[in-house]
Amino acid sequence: MEAKKSYGVKEKESKEEFTTGSGIPIKRIYTHEDIAGLDYNRDLGYPGEEPYTRGIYPTMYRGRPWTVRQFSGLDSAEATNKRYKMLYEMGTTGFAIAMDDASLNGFDPDSPEAEFEVGVGGVNVFSMRDMEEMFDGLPIDKISTAVIQIIHTTCPHTAMYLAMAENRGIDIRKVNGTSEGDPCSYGGCFDPDILPVRQVFRLCGDLVEWCAMNAPKWHPVSFTSYNFREAGVNAYQEIGGLIASAVAIIEEVLSRDRGLGVDDFVPQLAFHLSAHNDFFEEIAKMRATRRMWSKLMTERYKAKDPQTKRLKFHVQTAGSSLTYQQPLNNTIRAAYQALAAVLGGVQSLHVCSYDEAICTPTEESAILSVRTQQILQNETKVTNTVDPLAGSYFVESLTNEMEKRAWDFFNEIEERGGWVKVIETRWLRDEVINKEVCKYEDEIRRGERRVVGVNCYKMEEKPGNITYFRPDPEIAKKMKEKAEKLKSERDSVKVGEALAELREADENGENVMPAIMKAVKAYATLEEINDITIRRYPFVGHSSLFYGLKGKRQ
Amino acid sequence: MRKIRVLTAKLGFDMHNRGIIVVNKALRDSGMEVIYVSNQFPEVIAETALQEDVDVIGISCLNSATGIELMAKLMNILKEKRLDNTLVVFGGIIIPDDAPRLKEIGVAEYFPPGSDLDSMVNFIKENITMG
Repeated sequence: MEAKKSYGVKEKESKEEFTTGSGIPIKRIYTHEDIAGLDYNRDLGYPGEEPYTRGIYPTMYRGRPWTVRQFSGLDSAEATNKRYKMLYEMGTTGFAIAMDDASLNGFDPDSPEAEFEVGVGGVNVFSMRDMEEMFDGLPIDKISTAVIQIIHTTCPHTAMYLAMAENRGIDIRKVNGTSEGDPCSYGGCFDPDILPVRQVFRLCGDLVEWCAMNAPKWHPVSFTSYNFREAGVNAYQEIGGLIASAVAIIEEVLSRDRGLGVDDFVPQLAFHLSAHNDFFEEIAKMRATRRMWSKLMTERYKAKDPQTKRLKFHVQTAGSSLTYQQPLNNTIRAAYQALAAVLGGVQSLHVCSYDEAICTPTEESAILSVRTQQILQNETKVTNTVDPLAGSYFVESLTNEMEKRAWDFFNEIEERGGWVKVIETRWLRDEVINKEVCKYEDEIRRGERRVVGVNCYKMEEKPGNITYFRPDPEIAKKMKEKAEKLKSERDSVKVGEALAELREADENGENVMPAIMKAVKAYATLEEINDITIRRYPFVGHSSLFYGLKGKRQ
Repeated sequence: MRKIRVLTAKLGFDMHNRGIIVVNKALRDSGMEVIYVSNQFPEVIAETALQEDVDVIGISCLNSATGIELMAKLMNILKEKRLDNTLVVFGGIIIPDDAPRLKEIGVAEYFPPGSDLDSMVNFIKENITMG
């Protein structure tokens, strides 16, 4: 049957063009004609079957709920331990460590570079001792932890967590969790002015390779298109970039030719996507991403293991969609975004807190985020059936469109030499991210993109009607003392030997992880390790953050 | 008349750079010359300001709750380098208690989220002393 072409053409609409959050034109209605070429088995398949468009497990949430994983970290390991225990009692089923700026950048709290950065944005973690304190009394053999850090500290931070587990008598082959640190998990990682791109890709490759052989339940990297999206790109650029960044690491590991094939390490790779405001576009994006990944693994990498072809992902609701104005409205935004993630088939979810556009979430707002997820899981019944939107003319058509546009973006990156190259040439930063972000903000400014409380429905607001979280003002001093104490108490001969071994492994192009594991167990610090694996490398960028105030290490 | 020269930077390690990217473009579109140095320590920001002989320094930091001490350090270094006449503006989340302190340490004006870009451009044009 042909759809009626004349349907409602004379009716007036409120504007000339309707578009998605990424600017894709949307029609008034969708019919069977919009998905005329859709082949159920080829394009959708059953949940748990290729191409996994409908989800990676046959039963999805009927079998197991998604992990409620709220990202948090407060100045010190002790304070964070308290918060984690509270979250655990509230029913959270996974942790994610938010680290402070000093730790993320690989400086110890007794360094001048860290003076005002300790406790900023999260918890300070500079040695294995912090991991011991942070997870004291928590069942890390039963609960999974995401170690959220940046690519250049991913090896030492992951080693600190795993070594801590090992010291507690837990077999690291059974430890569950994720290292976030992919080369794009940091605004700056798109920026060759901040990091030496090639060396950070190598380190990420080392962690992937080492985990494949030593920690098979650990996800050594989570490709964080979330941060790419937050930096400013649109929905289809987000997933095109996601695939391109994963391809870069896969190629890095394969290029070493040390016996690992895709089926040996790709099943451990994880993904971290954003859920932004356009409800259906986000759902379509997540469904399209799974299909793209399955195709990529089958067609390009000839994967055999179904695990290799299944894209598992975490979603964080979009921090950049939150507003400073009328902050309580953010609760509603985050709830809709969380619903989109669930309808998109997410495995693990973080719901942003309403005060995140202002400060680190307070205890009250953090609980509300957990409750938002629990209401979805327990009250809304959206988990009753798998992929409930499949077959919708609109959703399937939009899923196809997202995939098409994402491949176009991916192919453009490939034509320009691949992910590493587009970062190095600054094309990604200057021509893609910065242009998109200016366009987006300009649309808000001109009122074309409506944001409640910002460019419409504004109100006079009294500042200070929410509780502001502030880091402990004494934290920098306390952590400095902690670092000095640790350095005076540890066995310095053992530290020296371990660091010498690390240097040798690094220089010989060997995998650095065994030496890093040994070093962190001797309580070598983050900065000591990074001085060897990162700050001896040539760096062409102009940010003084990289070498710090001490300059290039020898 | 020569162009107004503005040095912009992200303060310390804070990587939330959407705001400064948009502001850089607005300042350039208004005819100013913008030197954006991405993330830098206060020492380097001050030294660059001196060498580049800028009229304005625009600092972006996610949150005053965490950035205010670094900001105070920057203002001190600027004083030591006799750059007190350079107009310094700050953009980021301002915790209400921090607003008076920012002015006290010598920040000419601060712009919280949602600030109108034209108002920033106008503020700079009206308040600089071109040397």
